[in-house]
Amino acid sequence: MEAVKRIYADHAATTKLCEAAFKAMLPFLRDEFGNPSSLHSWAKEPRSAINVAREKIAQCINAEPEEILFTSGGTEANNWAIKSTGGTLYVSSYEHHSVLNSANSEAVRGRELVIIKPKMGGYIMPRNLSVLKSGTGLVSIMSANNEIGTTNPVRLLSETAHDKGYLFHTDAVQMLGHLKVDVKDWGVDYLSASAHKFNGPKGIGFLYCRKGAPLQSFLDGGSQESGLRAGTENVAAIVGMAAALEFNCSQIARQSFRLERLAASLCDGISRIKKDAHFPGRDIMPQLPGFVSVSFPGCSAESLLHLLDLKGVAVSAGAACNSRKVKTSHVLKAIHLPRKLAESTIRISLGYENTDDDVSAIIDALKFALKHNAT
Amino acid sequence: MAKKQSYGACPGCGKDNLSRDEVGINIKLLGENIEKPMCIPCLAEYLEISQDDLFDKISEFKAQGCKLFG
Repeated sequence: MEAVKRIYADHAATTKLCEAAFKAMLPFLRDEFGNPSSLHSWAKEPRSAINVAREKIAQCINAEPEEILFTSGGTEANNWAIKSTGGTLYVSSYEHHSVLNSANSEAVRGRELVIIKPKMGGYIMPRNLSVLKSGTGLVSIMSANNEIGTTNPVRLLSETAHDKGYLFHTDAVQMLGHLKVDVKDWGVDYLSASAHKFNGPKGIGFLYCRKGAPLQSFLDGGSQESGLRAGTENVAAIVGMAAALEFNCSQIARQSFRLERLAASLCDGISRIKKDAHFPGRDIMPQLPGFVSVSFPGCSAESLLHLLDLKGVAVSAGAACNSRKVKTSHVLKAIHLPRKLAESTIRISLGYENTDDDVSAIIDALKFALKHNAT
Repeated sequence: MAKKQSYGACPGCGKDNLSRDEVGINIKLLGENIEKPMCIPCLAEYLEISQDDLFDKISEFKAQGCKLFG
């Protein structure tokens, strides 16, 4: 039997480490092993590398270096921002679980929590924030959704939140490195990021915290990260994250155009083989480049995923089951997608290495999967 | 207690008493409304893949804790 060419089309889940990040990390994985906090000369190179990385990251999002705090990833950054504030908490119902569950745990401790519903297309517009009562607290709305790829007008949302007296946090994990992010233009108080979503290493991310915005100590111990997040730094990962972000930001214009062209070609191909295919979120607002969320009425998303996998194509599904009970994604529920459609929705997210040939192969694999799906 | 659903013989070769793994892999790949699940060799032929691919998938589902498998 012919060997199957493997095509990775699940870049919204994670991405491959880019060459720039890989090369930047190598010295710190072995030879430059000194502890950045030590007083002897072995600390010099790692400490300097951390400072340079912080500066690079700050430059990429138009922040000040001291406003960048390294974390273990997006989940920690989201927890940190949410748990550093007091007052009422407003979060949208289609946030990542690290936001929703942090918010819920705050509510259990007695904090008022209000859930904001996105519009049917999968967006949050400033008028969705009309529920905000004048007061104090935090509004947390993601920059781009990780399941349907829709983007939100962050600057307008941040302005609206500030007008009512609230701090504003955005989970930019899915957007950073793929579309331009400018924290000063957006006027956000907090922003969360995760390196492995922009071709950096796993297990590292950062929280942007505007100078003057409240931030509580997250891990007690040594003086790392201004004494707010103790623990010896993961130097290689920090350096890799900065290199990946710098590289991705330099490629945004070229790659976003190329990936959007590939996504459009993929949507055309899908519409040709399945006339009633539905593309949630692909209408009013811009989407993340290369992002295609598609429902195949009458099909099982999970079966499609596995059949595609057998043909070498990796995608993800909006619904999965462990027995006969299908668990539908909270995002697809939140955007009011009918349950049957949600159960037939897969996410195809293209990345830097995908080509026109990959798109043709994905369409061929989908043709095969749709032919064999009996639901 | 739920009544155990009977699927009959493999429509490809007539093999009777399909195992729980065989029925499970049919459901996972072809959808939960599958009426006549196939045995492993017939399913592999139908999907134009190797039997090993199917056994690999069955192992993955078991490792994930999927209750459809034995």
